[in-house]
Amino acid sequence: MRGYLDTLKVIVQIALRNLFASRLKTLIVGGIILFGSLLVVVGTALVDSVDASMSRSVIGSVAGHIQVYSAKSKDELTVMGNMNMEAPDLAPIDDFAVLRRTLLGVPNVKAVVPMGLSSAMVTAGNTVDVVLERLRDLARRKLAGENVQVAYESEKDHVRQIITVLSADMDNVRKIQNEKAISQDDLAAVAKVASAEFWAGFDRDPYLALEFLENRIAPLASDADMLFLRYLGTDVDAFAKSFDRMKIVDGTAIPRGRRGFLFAKWVYERQVKLKTALRLDRINDGITKRSQTIAGSEELQRWIKQNTTEVKEIMLQLDGQKTASFRRLLQGELGKQESDVAKLLAEFFRVDDANFARRYRFFYDRLAPMLELYRVRVGDMLTIKSFTKSGYVQSVKLRVYGTFVFQGLEDSHIAGELNLMDMVSFRELYGSLTPEREREVQEIKAEAGMKEISREQAETELFGKPDLGESAVAGNAQRPVDEADAALRSLAGRQQREDRASQPYDPAQLEQGDVLNAAVIVKDPRRISQTIEEIEAAGAKAGIPLHAITWQKASGLVGQFVTMIRAVLYISVLIIFAVALVIINNALVMATLERMPEIGTLRAVGAQRRFLLGMLLVEALAVGVLFGSLGALLGAGIVGVISAVGIPAANDILYFLFSGPRLHPSLSPANVIISLGIVLAVSAISSIYPGLLAMRVSPRQAMQSDD
Amino acid sequence: MNHIVSVRNVSKNYNLGQVVVPALRGVSLDVAEGEFLAIAGPSGSGKTTLLNLVGCVDTPSSGTVIVDDKQTGLLSERELTRLRLHTIGFIFQSFNLVSVLSVLQNVELPLLLQRVLTARERRERVLALLDRVGISEYSKHRPSELSGGQRQRVAIARALVTQPKLVLADEPTANLDSVTGTNILDLMKELNHSEKTTFIFSTHDARVWAYASAVVRLADGQIQDRVSAEEAVRAGGLPAGRPA
Repeated sequence: MRGYLDTLKVIVQIALRNLFASRLKTLIVGGIILFGSLLVVVGTALVDSVDASMSRSVIGSVAGHIQVYSAKSKDELTVMGNMNMEAPDLAPIDDFAVLRRTLLGVPNVKAVVPMGLSSAMVTAGNTVDVVLERLRDLARRKLAGENVQVAYESEKDHVRQIITVLSADMDNVRKIQNEKAISQDDLAAVAKVASAEFWAGFDRDPYLALEFLENRIAPLASDADMLFLRYLGTDVDAFAKSFDRMKIVDGTAIPRGRRGFLFAKWVYERQVKLKTALRLDRINDGITKRSQTIAGSEELQRWIKQNTTEVKEIMLQLDGQKTASFRRLLQGELGKQESDVAKLLAEFFRVDDANFARRYRFFYDRLAPMLELYRVRVGDMLTIKSFTKSGYVQSVKLRVYGTFVFQGLEDSHIAGELNLMDMVSFRELYGSLTPEREREVQEIKAEAGMKEISREQAETELFGKPDLGESAVAGNAQRPVDEADAALRSLAGRQQREDRASQPYDPAQLEQGDVLNAAVIVKDPRRISQTIEEIEAAGAKAGIPLHAITWQKASGLVGQFVTMIRAVLYISVLIIFAVALVIINNALVMATLERMPEIGTLRAVGAQRRFLLGMLLVEALAVGVLFGSLGALLGAGIVGVISAVGIPAANDILYFLFSGPRLHPSLSPANVIISLGIVLAVSAISSIYPGLLAMRVSPRQAMQSDD
Repeated sequence: MNHIVSVRNVSKNYNLGQVVVPALRGVSLDVAEGEFLAIAGPSGSGKTTLLNLVGCVDTPSSGTVIVDDKQTGLLSERELTRLRLHTIGFIFQSFNLVSVLSVLQNVELPLLLQRVLTARERRERVLALLDRVGISEYSKHRPSELSGGQRQRVAIARALVTQPKLVLADEPTANLDSVTGTNILDLMKELNHSEKTTFIFSTHDARVWAYASAVVRLADGQIQDRVSAEEAVRAGGLPAGRPA
């Protein structure tokens, strides 16, 4: 035994000294190995960490561990990050109670959350509509004898202010573009409502005047952007329980048994917020979070330019009193005598690096309290219109209870674009016949005496009059202007629907209706693939053919992202080590050829072939182990540094992948072991051919005499 | 007298592509234990081929080579290697030391391969031998730090360290100046006497013959004659054949 050890010692010694003797070659080979193992350690650590954090993001926000949907569906389910915004076409599963029972029968299933994904265009918060609706309400109360004179007059002022803004805006457009940019009809309409006679006659027949304002003027104030909302219908309680990253930011959760809507904070901030304020926020983020400067960033400059040119958005919100306050505040802040508030605002928003922080504070401290910062406020009713499966428009009016975020994913649009809705309302929008709706249809039928109604009328009959916002957008829905009582009735009808929307429903309904998909939370995440098989088997047995997919699949492109990165990493590692293999092999072949006489001598004096093989193997392994460990160590150091500093999530996709603002990668023993394993394997493999070559060297090579 | 080497009617052919080149043609030779035998002949006469066959580095195409009672043609590669390791020592024209090992390690190497002695025994034997060949003060040096003569002394020590029955030397003085060569031959002769080791060496250096117990003269792959050293020196040259 001792002899073996001594022999090994001399083998190692010869090998190491040979390596040292050809230092340059050793360093080149070692450098490649070092880089390779460094790449493996850092790369796998990063990818593993991204994988882990992304899985936290996906599992913790919407997907759960497993998503289940009907096997009869046309499309594959993706709950987030799909390229087209269309919700996938899924066949509904009729009875959630049965589905839940079936799924909970699988041992590893902890919880089941019903879901449905859809999207809708929502018109919300045309400032003019809101103001006109308030005025209409005040007019109604005044006619009913309430004492609302002061508020009524103030609101009237506001409407006149809006008209002034609109009129100035139109003049601008005509100046910038051409005379024909705005139709004569529109000009005449604005001229009419700007006239003193119009307002003198207003109180005589407020409804008539309001009709004209709603139909002809409101559409001209084009700030009524459509909101495109993707929403998830679910059992909101079960959702909050299973996805504990979800936190309410503004308002409250939807109370149990209530219909309601929760805005994703991300959507709320970016789509609902006053655009001027949003742009100020973005400039602020750029400066404070990304160390940008206004002077150095075209993007920030563009936002500033937009703010200075699009002051109309704010102007429309200002009634006489607020206009005066704004004038006073802005004159004071800017030190200017200018009396035109629009010009003052434009001047105010023309910020630079020196004054931005001050103006940003001033905007939020002094100006914002007088503005509606959000087009839809918590507590507002939101009308959501959606195309049902059968193609007609269904609309539901829901209270906005609040906004929510997934903790750690606040800035990610992938996790942040889904709003929440109660399952019952979702089913209604989807076109399912809920018991409630069935009852309503029966009532209407009874009331209407089962009369023949056309399809267009049927919708109106079934779902009530469209609200003011819609009719304003529709614009040309000319109604007889003198039917004040008809308008009243429509108001009352809407009131009734709002009441119904705020009526509680029986939570048991959540169980009974249909769902499109369901999120499954499992007890042991390591057994997901087995659980998927069990779920599909259980579904087949229960007569509801199911597709069950992992969260990776359910998260669509996002889920495949890490697989893609991993593939890229593995391919680069493969290439590097293939190159390393060739180079080490070449180096050893060269070394073998150079040392033919020496090898021959060793053979002549009695070294067996395995001695030589051992020598070459030790040479290759020594380089591998030394530089591989060095690379792994360096890699571990780099991961350590990265982990301490954190990789900032530069954009919202990274934010989602990192499951937060920074990725702090962690090193697992597996990363290092894999790296060293690959290095050793490559070293060993690359010494095979030179080994064979060395074994073929004849001891005759030692005899150099001349015959 | 026992024969340590017995070559019987040996031929050796080398294949160079399609052409078969005969290197030895029907050679027979007996070497007794304790001999100091010189094999003389011009280049291409087959000296090295004969040494290779005797040294178990190669096996004959026909005929038998018996070394230490073993017929080499019947042995496997491993067995031939073992025979070399335990029975034969080699001294090469270009010394052939392992450049990355020290003098001491070079000499110790065959003992390590043998795996018979303990570390201490090895060390004692190596140091004694280095002392015997007169280079004990260089034991820590690398071969590249030594002169040619010193290197050949190291090679001699390495050849003798396993106490082999037979030492083969391939033109041991060819790369040395005459004084150094003479010293090396003195040393070999001395070891031949004291250790009773059989020496066979190839040479075409006439000065060397004087040391030999006998000179076998080769030409064109055949043995011309086997003469005493005096005769060989008197003949004053190489046997007929191609000029050196």
